[in-house]
Amino acid sequence: MSGGIDASAAAAHLKGAAPSQDVVWHHRHLLDVDVLTWPEIELIMRTTDEMKGILARPIRKVPALNGRRVTTLFYEASTRTRVSFETAARNLSADVVSISTATSSVTKGESLVDTIRTLEALGAEILVMRHAVSGAPYLAAEVFGGHVLNGGDGWHAHPTQALLDLYTMRQHLPHGDLHGRKVAIVGDILHSRVARSNIWSLTAAGADLWLCGPATLLRGMDRWATAWATGAVPGHGRFHVTSDIDAAVSDADVVMALRIQRERMQGGLLPSLREYAARFGLNAARMALAKPEAIVMHPGPMNEGVEIAPDVAIGDRAVITEQVANGVAVRMALLYLLAGSHDASHIHETGHAPEAAR
Amino acid sequence: MSPQAKKAAAPALGPRVGEIVERFELEKAWLVDPVSGREGPGEIVVIDGVLESVVWLEGVEAKGVTDKGVVVAPGFFDLHAHFREPGFEDAETVATGTAAAAHGGYTTVALMPNTSPALDEPGILERIRSAARAGGSPVEVLAYGAVSAERAGEQLSAMGELADAGVIGYSDDGAPVRTPKLLRSALLYAGMLGLAVVDHAEDSELTANAEANEGYVASVLGLQGWPAAAEVNAVSRDLAVLADALLDEPRVRLHLTHLSTAASLDLVRRAKAAGLPVTCDVTPHHLALADEWIAGARRWSWEALDTDAAVRDPWVDAALTAWPYNTSLRVNPPLRSPVDAAACLVALLDGTASAVVTDHAPHTVVDKEVEFGKASNGISGIETGLGVLLALVDAGKLTLAAAVAALTTGPAGIVAGWPAAAATPAARKRGLIEGAPADLVVFDRADRWAVTAESLRSKGKNSPFIGRELSGRVLLTIAGGRLAYEDPAAGEG
Repeated sequence: MSGGIDASAAAAHLKGAAPSQDVVWHHRHLLDVDVLTWPEIELIMRTTDEMKGILARPIRKVPALNGRRVTTLFYEASTRTRVSFETAARNLSADVVSISTATSSVTKGESLVDTIRTLEALGAEILVMRHAVSGAPYLAAEVFGGHVLNGGDGWHAHPTQALLDLYTMRQHLPHGDLHGRKVAIVGDILHSRVARSNIWSLTAAGADLWLCGPATLLRGMDRWATAWATGAVPGHGRFHVTSDIDAAVSDADVVMALRIQRERMQGGLLPSLREYAARFGLNAARMALAKPEAIVMHPGPMNEGVEIAPDVAIGDRAVITEQVANGVAVRMALLYLLAGSHDASHIHETGHAPEAAR
Repeated sequence: MSPQAKKAAAPALGPRVGEIVERFELEKAWLVDPVSGREGPGEIVVIDGVLESVVWLEGVEAKGVTDKGVVVAPGFFDLHAHFREPGFEDAETVATGTAAAAHGGYTTVALMPNTSPALDEPGILERIRSAARAGGSPVEVLAYGAVSAERAGEQLSAMGELADAGVIGYSDDGAPVRTPKLLRSALLYAGMLGLAVVDHAEDSELTANAEANEGYVASVLGLQGWPAAAEVNAVSRDLAVLADALLDEPRVRLHLTHLSTAASLDLVRRAKAAGLPVTCDVTPHHLALADEWIAGARRWSWEALDTDAAVRDPWVDAALTAWPYNTSLRVNPPLRSPVDAAACLVALLDGTASAVVTDHAPHTVVDKEVEFGKASNGISGIETGLGVLLALVDAGKLTLAAAVAALTTGPAGIVAGWPAAAATPAARKRGLIEGAPADLVVFDRADRWAVTAESLRSKGKNSPFIGRELSGRVLLTIAGGRLAYEDPAAGEG
């Protein structure tokens, strides 16, 4: 990809590319990847390519969302996701308002619905939301007049993470093709919104997906895998659920570790972090079972020495910092697709009416 | 409304809610009498609040009258409802609750004691009765007393005084009787008084923070699983304690309410076969809905099973048509799998469960228009119970007679099994009995009605049927000879 393209060129490129692929972006919100068709996912990937081009320039700023108002509303602590979204929005020249619930009227008992109505009255057009309760962004999208972008809800979904994971994998796989490629996700699957969103996007990409962890942290996933074993879900394939780490990692093209939280010990789900590290930690010996060119991923934040050994986390095969960098580009692409004017001639206009369709 | 009903109901009644129905005649309707077991074309006449005549039509006179049109049945009896008074009057009051009940065809309701303060001493019962009198509805309001003081699960409530004041049984509903030891005491003491303990069977440790039935749907939606084992474990505990208590007191009675899983119903089936004094009920929503509704499916539970009785996948079927995480579907026990829903139906058909109860649980928007995991549990269901059962009838899963029995003689028969309650009006036979005070409902199976926030009389608009249509519009409800509900359009024909 060459640097030096400007926003209108990016938009023109997209405009030119879209009709040939018969893809028109029609989603008003992005709440999960489950509603995306494969051509829509490819459109996001192509748009991310353009955004990567912008990020390669000395001045990483284009006026695509000039004057548009992006509000980040985080009900859960997060560093990288919030900063990533805010950086993405600023790169597109949007105005960014950042709200963390620790300092807002949420601490005074304000309901989510009231908070969202208030933010809308204050001019929010694009709402990026992180919430500890599964499904909360769906409630937000029901009451909010603009666009809702899910920055992670409970155990349910983290669509931008799944899309940046997919983008990163495509960068490292021949022809950017995941078909038949073995992807192992290891860790606390039960509580993981990253794993759930990745199930949708990676099976859509045709990957041979393996979910691995202790039985207590896999509960319910086998029922999901069984339901999809017939391959009957349109656009999605079967995936594997196992507690056998060696089987999961063997000949893998991609190995992704998930964070293990200390609360899991208090909940009686794990004996100790030491035992987890010994049985499921991603170390050099286990990575030796994977393909030699296999990449190592982690959505962060990492507990080095628990789910991933320090030498693996910073080793040659780790693409963890690339994931972070790609996160900004993917989020720029999604902000642009959701809220930007897709017509190059209107790229500098503000006050573009939000699309009516969900 | 069908022409038949218009004609039938045309003579405007005149009386207002609470007044004696001086004269009401209905020609050529389909009568269902669950006491005699008879159903067919007929006519009824009510004079001065008394069901003066019940005439069964035959031959030419009966021609054209089918069970698909206007139906007359005895007034329904809801063994399990919440009217929220005292303490939560913004969610429901006895006045709005009785209005909703009458709109649903109910003439008798039994209220659960999880009010604030809890109904754990006779003074609270008097407050509820006085609210019922002030409301003016003829719908008979019964109540359960709490098992434990303040429903705290520590010590027994004023059980004897509550019995003297007229409670029909005891329950800590909303929560299970907390410990097996307390349950044994409650069963024995209630048994001594000739009354039953009604338990909400749930192992609260297994359901801490639970959001949706543990299974495929909850896994995909990232909702914390509410395992079937929590109900099975509690039912198992209750039955073991019941068997133990029966050795000391032959009059112990246990009723398990809103059972929702195949395995727990199976335990009750076997316990009944072994002669234990246990009864149970199921709800319309556990019969007709399944957990896939939370993902956005809007088909009946039996439509979610294929011909081999295997669960259909709503994602495969593209059956997800509604916005997910609708909090009106958050209920305790949770909506289960379609297989469990089918097991609830089998239990109703084979007599394991002998009543359908609504577990009418109205909530305010403050408690429901929130994140799914933070929403209060409960469905506002007393006005939609009939329509949901008629959907089962329309689908050929249940006969009309069985549906009516589950709402009338079924619950009355359960109460009749509680020695001290057997002689009370609640346990009376619910038939179309000439010479008795008229206590009946008239509904039109051919007339579908739109469930909307406005059409529900309950303050609780937390119904998953809002925006949908149900069959069986209720045209008239007469309770104890007095007008309880009349369809606003009934007099216009």
